[in-house]
Amino acid sequence: MDFLTGEIVGILLFFIGLFGLMTKKTIVKTIMSMSIMESGIFLFYITINYTEGSVPPIGQTSEAAFADPVPSALMITAIVIGIGVTAIGLTMFMHYKQKHGITHWSRNRNQQGSGH
Amino acid sequence: MLGIFVLAPILVGVIAYIIRDQWAKPLLFIFQIGYAAYAFSQFLVVKESGPLVWNTGGYTDGIALSLYADSISIFMVLMTAVIYIAFLIYSVNAEYFVSKFFFLFMVLQGLMMGLYLSSDLFNIFVFLEVSTVVVAILIMINKEKQAIYDGMIYFFVNVIGSSFLLFGAGMIYRTFGLLDIRAVSEAMTLLEGPKAMILPYGLMMVTVSLKTAVTPLFSWLPKAHGTPSAPPVVSAVLSGLYIKSGVYLFIRFNEMYAPVIDMHQFFFWVGFFTSVIGFIMALGQHDIKLILAYHTVSQVGLIMVGLNMASDYAFWGAVYHIFNHAIFKSTLFLTAGMIYHEYGTRDVYEIRGLIKRMPWVALATTFAMLGITGAPFFNGSISKYMIAHGTHDYGTTILLNIINIGTTMSFVKYATMLFGENTKGARVKSDIYAIGAALFLGVTSLMTGIFGEALSEFLFGFELHVNASEYTQKGIVYLLMIVAGIGFYNGIIKHGGLIQRIGHIELTFNGIITAMAGYFIALVLCLNIIL
Repeated sequence: MDFLTGEIVGILLFFIGLFGLMTKKTIVKTIMSMSIMESGIFLFYITINYTEGSVPPIGQTSEAAFADPVPSALMITAIVIGIGVTAIGLTMFMHYKQKHGITHWSRNRNQQGSGH
Repeated sequence: MLGIFVLAPILVGVIAYIIRDQWAKPLLFIFQIGYAAYAFSQFLVVKESGPLVWNTGGYTDGIALSLYADSISIFMVLMTAVIYIAFLIYSVNAEYFVSKFFFLFMVLQGLMMGLYLSSDLFNIFVFLEVSTVVVAILIMINKEKQAIYDGMIYFFVNVIGSSFLLFGAGMIYRTFGLLDIRAVSEAMTLLEGPKAMILPYGLMMVTVSLKTAVTPLFSWLPKAHGTPSAPPVVSAVLSGLYIKSGVYLFIRFNEMYAPVIDMHQFFFWVGFFTSVIGFIMALGQHDIKLILAYHTVSQVGLIMVGLNMASDYAFWGAVYHIFNHAIFKSTLFLTAGMIYHEYGTRDVYEIRGLIKRMPWVALATTFAMLGITGAPFFNGSISKYMIAHGTHDYGTTILLNIINIGTTMSFVKYATMLFGENTKGARVKSDIYAIGAALFLGVTSLMTGIFGEALSEFLFGFELHVNASEYTQKGIVYLLMIVAGIGFYNGIIKHGGLIQRIGHIELTFNGIITAMAGYFIALVLCLNIIL
C-alpha cells in the first residue's frame, strides 16, 4: 500500500470534507465537515517532505536525518485556530438553535430556515 | 519597527476595554491620530529609501516570519489609519459605541494592518482567520435573528475559504521549502515545470477570489455588508476597507506567481462579469444598504478589470480606485446609517425629501455619489480615466462604458431619495460628530479628485498626466450617461418586473460552497489549457 501516503489521504480528506459542505444542509454537519477538511490539511502538512527513519531535531543524535520541524510547528498553530473556530461556530449555532429553533440552512433570506 | 502597526491597535483596544468609558474615548482618539501620523512618517520613509523589512527573532530574511512594507502596502496602511479616524469620530456618540464594540473595532484594524504588511503565507492565513472571527462578531453584535444568520453564513464561508489558502501554502512549502512571499517569488524563476504550480495557484486564488467577492462567489457579501441591524460604521469598514485586503492579496499573490503564471485575461473577464452582475443585482434592490452592498461587488469588479488590463496606467488607476472607493463607499454607508435611523425605513422608494430634511447629510451623499459615478473633478473620474487610458482597444472601452452606465443607473435610483416631498415634518438635527465625519469624507472625495495628479504622484510615485481635451470629452460622456441613466430608470427600472426578480436571486449556503468548488475546477482547467 505504498500509494496510501499521508499526503494522498490528506488530499482525499480535504475533498471529502468539501463534498460534505456542498451537500449537507444541517448546520452541525457543516461544522463536522469543516473539521474533516481541516484534519486533511493538518495530515498533509505533517507528512510533506517526510523521509523514512528521520528523527526529531532534538538532542545531538546525528546518525539519522532530521525531520523538518517547520510544518509541525505551523500545524500546532493551525490546530489551535481550528479548535477556536469550531468552538465559535458551535456557539453561534447553539445560540441560534435555542433562540429560534433552526437547525438547517434555509433556502433564502426571507424564509430563514425550515424549523426542523 | 513595522510590528507596531499590528500590535499597537490591539493593545490599545485591550486597554480601552479595561478602563472606564469616559477615559477610553479620548484615549482612542489620541491614539488613532498619533497612529495615523506614525503611518505617515513611515510612508515618507518608504518613499525616500525604499521598502522596509522587519524580521522577527533575528533570523535571516526569507526564513524569518517577516513584515514587509513597499509602496503599495504602506499606502494601504496609511489609508486605513486615516479613514479610521473618521470612523471613530462618526460613531463616538452612537449607542453601540461601548467597550465591547470598540475593542473589536480596534482589533480589526490591527489585523487588517497585518494582512497588508505580512510577507509570510502562513501569517496571512492566521490574520485572515482571526479577522473573519472578529468581523463575524461585529456583524452579529446586536444579536438579532437576521444578523446572526448572516454572520453565520459569512463566518463559515470565509473559514472554509481560508482553509483553501492554508492547503495551497502547504503545497508551496512542499515544492520550495519556503513560506515567505518574496523568497518564493525568487525561487519560482528556478522552477522547471510550471505545471507543479497549478494546484497551489488554484487553491490560493479561490481564497482570494472569495475575499474579493468576484462573480460566482459574492453571495456572502451582501448578506454581511448589508445586514440590517449591523451598525453603519461596521458596514462602512467592511465595504470600504476590509474588502480591499482581498484585492491587495490578489496583487501580492499574482506578483508572487508572475514568473510562471499569467492569468490576466481570465481575471479581466471575471472582473467584468462581477461588475455587470453587481449593478444588475443592485438595480433590483429596495433596501438602501443592500443597494450599496451590491454596488461594492460592482466596483470591486471594476478594480479587478483595471488590475488585469496588462497596462501600467490601468494598474495604478485600479490602485487609485481602491483608495477612492474606500472614501466614497464609506461616506455612502455612514450617511445611509443616519438616513435610515432618521426615517425609520430602509426602503429607497419611501425615503423622500432628503435635501429639505437633512441638508448636510444630503450634501455628503451627493458628493459621494458624484464621486462613485465619476463626475468631472471628483476622484472617481480620475481613477476611471486612468483605467480607461490603459487600453486603446475599442471593445474594451465599450465594456468599461457598460460598467459606467450601470453605475450611473443604480445611482440615479439612489438619488431619488434626495428629492420629492418631505412627508415627515421639518429639518432635524443629527449628531454633529457623525455629520462632520461624513462631510469630511465627502469633501475628501472632491479634493482627491481636484488634486488627483499631484496625489497620484505623491502616493504611488506614478506620474499622471490628465489630457485636458480627453478629460473634457469624458465629462461630456458623463453627462450623456446621466441622461441615459435617468431615461433607463424611468423607462424600465421603476416598473420593476424582471429586474426585481433577478435582484432576489441568491445562493444558499450549500450553493455558495458548490460555487466555490466549481470556481476551483474552472481555474484549474483554465490553467491546464494556458500552461
